[in-house]
Amino acid sequence: MSSMDIPSSGRGSPGTGAPDGPSSRSARERTGAVATRIANAPRMSWLTLALMTTSSVASLRAAPTMAVYGLACVFLYLLPAVVFLLPTALVSAELASGWEGGVYRWVSEGLSKPLGFLAVWCQFAMTIFYYPSLLAYVASTIAYVVNPALASNGLYTAIVIMVLYWAGVWVSSRGTKAVAGLSSMGLVIGTLIPGTLLVVLGMVFLGQGNQSAAPMNAAHLFPQWTGLASLVLIVNNFLSYSGMEMNAVHVSSLRDPAKEFPRAMFTASGMVLAIFILPALAISWVVPSAELSLTAGVMQAFDSFFQYFHIGWLTPVIAVALVTASLGGMLTWLAGPSKGLLLISRQEGYLPPFLQRLNKEGVQQNLLVTQGVVTTVIALAYALIPNVSSAYWIFSVITTQVYLIVYLLMFAAAIRLRRTQPDHPRGYHAPALVPIAVTGLVASAAAMAIGFVPSSQFGSGSVWSYVLIVGGGLLVLGLLIPYLFLRLRKPEWRSPDAQAELAAQEAAELGGAGADGPRKDGGAA
Amino acid sequence: MTSLMASRHRWIYLGAIVLLVGMLITGLLTYTQLHQTNEANRKAQQLSSALSAAGYPVPTQNQIVHTLGEDGGAVCEDPANALKQAQWTYGMSNGASGPGQRPVLSDREVVFAESIVLSVYCPDKLAAIKDKIDDLKLHDTVRN
Repeated sequence: MSSMDIPSSGRGSPGTGAPDGPSSRSARERTGAVATRIANAPRMSWLTLALMTTSSVASLRAAPTMAVYGLACVFLYLLPAVVFLLPTALVSAELASGWEGGVYRWVSEGLSKPLGFLAVWCQFAMTIFYYPSLLAYVASTIAYVVNPALASNGLYTAIVIMVLYWAGVWVSSRGTKAVAGLSSMGLVIGTLIPGTLLVVLGMVFLGQGNQSAAPMNAAHLFPQWTGLASLVLIVNNFLSYSGMEMNAVHVSSLRDPAKEFPRAMFTASGMVLAIFILPALAISWVVPSAELSLTAGVMQAFDSFFQYFHIGWLTPVIAVALVTASLGGMLTWLAGPSKGLLLISRQEGYLPPFLQRLNKEGVQQNLLVTQGVVTTVIALAYALIPNVSSAYWIFSVITTQVYLIVYLLMFAAAIRLRRTQPDHPRGYHAPALVPIAVTGLVASAAAMAIGFVPSSQFGSGSVWSYVLIVGGGLLVLGLLIPYLFLRLRKPEWRSPDAQAELAAQEAAELGGAGADGPRKDGGAA
Repeated sequence: MTSLMASRHRWIYLGAIVLLVGMLITGLLTYTQLHQTNEANRKAQQLSSALSAAGYPVPTQNQIVHTLGEDGGAVCEDPANALKQAQWTYGMSNGASGPGQRPVLSDREVVFAESIVLSVYCPDKLAAIKDKIDDLKLHDTVRN
């Protein structure tokens, strides 16, 4: 964890310091001290960041769901990769190679500081609804191998969610290095090794001369076109890659962010594509879609896969792997958005001092705990109130809508920064940035529009009530709450060290990236 | 791994490894593989015929027997329960495995194949979930 987050004076109470006055350290001294702390901060390798990014986005969880589509799952992942993953990767690589701090900083510089806060708020707020569903999935995965009856037990589910979530908060409060280590380990053990095993077994299946369960011919390259349903399927898959930009908030932990962040981003993009496509294909070769059962979930599909090879004992192994990967991914989400929210709030006083307070590891512990209390209430409602659990899927619609605000702002900021700050040093210049960012912007807007189309779960309910629920949730969570924070903020909530940190960051950007010389990696749009 | 163990967070890493190994051992000991019995074979054949008659690809006898056994295993474990329903409705989603997971207009194949499985292995549970399945708005997005 970078010690730059710990105020040198008044540690733990950033809001209590007075603004610089005659008796204070001079701004230059303060900036110098902060710059020294940044330089001495613990470092992270680009490969660790690539693994963290992959862990945030991809796991084997979706493989059985997409295996149903057979060969068409390649198209369903590749098209979104072109219109959403590629723009996100290229744009965030350029932005992170020029500005430290992640999405809040990019949007603050490119559009405005309140919009920077909105961007990181949306990234942060949507995770509150993500954790209960993720951990409920973990609970049901454990139940599948221990005792399937537990999966329908509310108390069991509530206990698993609480224990794992708060263990995650505790680990996150120990610093980014602990999160980086565990999430990387989670990706390797929980996704890369079992994913490779699935693909190898799939090839063995075909190598034995077996016919693939799903047809693998040119006629099955694309999903069935049924109008709106197919459009919803294709466009919603853009969101498969959401989260690629999130770990950019840790860019200052890299030794050479300008060079290493783009490298981490492109490596992660390749790994994410491989993790999504190859295991899904392997499952579709071995397990007929009718066996990819609905009520038993993804574990049964894995079970059926291993049963073919008479290695059913691997089912509990893959269950532990999926749990490991899910928990590793959760850690990155706990550590990332809350750090971005903290950084801009300290600079601009958007959050009360209590929420800005840091622990001795320099981690936003109070923010994590407050988020944890809200998550706990939602998770308990999910586990114990049947009406809430049955309808919980609608929160995933609302939260993905809220998350899309981040992408709309990020792509708009990237375009604007090329115009307003063309000479700002960037270690990496994305080729054809403007057309690429416009593609990402249009893809994000399309995904948001499609979010208002009622899904299968809504059944025969009124379209307008669906639009009202999703639109209302989007307005409250994505606009009203951040507006209230902005409206109620107080100038004295700014951290006295935050401006110095920002100045030190800017000095490092101008010195570091500038030394590499602009536009060496690609042409400007 | 050496550098992980050398770091000041080694107790966190060791704790995580112990937890995972413990979970793995528990899983391997408690996971009961469904065994091949006459009843399991009979049910598997019945399911094969039903799936085939409905025009679905049929898994191997071995896959069906060991996945569903005599009683349907996890499929028949209280499928209409609210938490189970939350899981399967959440699972009718796009290809995301992170926070981008979002419901779609799902294909009818998986849902109807599910009904066939329930009708063979636990017909008494089918009625409880049938209303919920019937209420879904389904399409044909999988090319057969």
